[in-house]
Amino acid sequence: MTEKKKERINIHEYLAEFDDIPGTRVFTAQRARKGYWLNQFAMSLMKAENRERFKADEKAYLDEWNLSDAAKQAVLDRDYNAMIDEGGNVYYLSKLFSTDGKSFQFAAGSMTGMTQEDYAKMMIDGGRAPHGVRSIKGGY
Amino acid sequence: MARVTTGITSSHIPALGAAIQTGKTGDDYWGPVFDGYKAIKDWIKQPGNMPDVVVLVYNDHASAFDMNCIPTFAIGCAESFKPADEGWGPRPVPEVIGHPDLAWHIAQSLILDDFDMCIFNQMDVDHGCTIPLSMMFGEPEEWPCKVIPLPVNVVTYPPPSGARCFALGDSIKAAVESFPEDLNVHVWGTGGMSHQLQGPRAGLINKEFDLKFIDQLINDPDTLAKMPHIEYLREAGSEGIELVMWLIMRGALGDKVKDLYNFYHIPASNTALGALILQPEETAGEALDPRVVHSGHSLATAAE
Repeated sequence: MTEKKKERINIHEYLAEFDDIPGTRVFTAQRARKGYWLNQFAMSLMKAENRERFKADEKAYLDEWNLSDAAKQAVLDRDYNAMIDEGGNVYYLSKLFSTDGKSFQFAAGSMTGMTQEDYAKMMIDGGRAPHGVRSIKGGY
Repeated sequence: MARVTTGITSSHIPALGAAIQTGKTGDDYWGPVFDGYKAIKDWIKQPGNMPDVVVLVYNDHASAFDMNCIPTFAIGCAESFKPADEGWGPRPVPEVIGHPDLAWHIAQSLILDDFDMCIFNQMDVDHGCTIPLSMMFGEPEEWPCKVIPLPVNVVTYPPPSGARCFALGDSIKAAVESFPEDLNVHVWGTGGMSHQLQGPRAGLINKEFDLKFIDQLINDPDTLAKMPHIEYLREAGSEGIELVMWLIMRGALGDKVKDLYNFYHIPASNTALGALILQPEETAGEALDPRVVHSGHSLATAAE
């Protein structure tokens, strides 16, 4: 029989550390549960016929899903930060911005408060430096 | 006997596929990336280098798996795998042809080796799997080798630890080596390097972290495998966690490796990109010339 583990990760400490990263929402079980229907709605856009129905009447299509009003509004506004607050995950939500003909760079840039031009330039200039955005408590 | 001859790492971002489809591989933005990969494309065509089978480690980006099924380690045992429709229609690339005999052999061996794999006989493969194939093989009518897709959950927390990934690679090596057919097997680790695709911190790139990661992956993977998730998240961005998958590749190569090629570029869309060719030291071939290529922002081309 395999030896029993001598050390275990403390799950509460493990999860708590995620809240210490500035400007970042880690896709934990808690977020995954909250965003279940939002993410499943996004997945439905992997079918061409669903994309057509969604584009024809976004509100009506969203009403078919068990979504909160805040989640529906976030989708209608294409507010990706708000969708992530509602439990969305960027890889699920990529089906929505792909349906709009937009790229990962567009979606990521839209969440930073920067213009698309400024975001693209920041990336060409080497991206966002990690200095000062690793830890809220540590300030490094 | 089958053997793992080579480990390759590659980015798998969809923008690379878009650059190919729109004919932008030679422009000012994408040119240096495709130049960097050209050395690998040329190398892999040389006699003895073309794999019979690639065990392709990647993460499914909510394509084959949705919120209803989140396998930590999965293996595709089907005859073939269709490119997934990720919202813009399937990528116009050939079907991925599997190797069910070897895949089932690896799956069984891994389970006996205490890795409780999730086995898939029907699974579409998304950009995580098909972009690396496009980058290595271009736009052929059919892919030139068989592929065993090995998706790893790095989306819903917690993903597997670096140590667990490293150990999985070691078990894949043992599984391949107990397969009786004479096959040249590659293990590819894809994704990364530093990047964050969400929230106000999106766009994070950490060159120092990435270059140290590459160095440790080659020379000190035991230490690297102990890095906790929080360090990936802080240093390499929320999506930089994909780098744990590179440890599966590294674990499949044994103790000492030689880097035949070492390419790093900033930026590819939102990401820093790393593409390596590694081989076990005792059977390693000649290094490419130049061996080390760094391109993009603040990275002068280095050659040795």
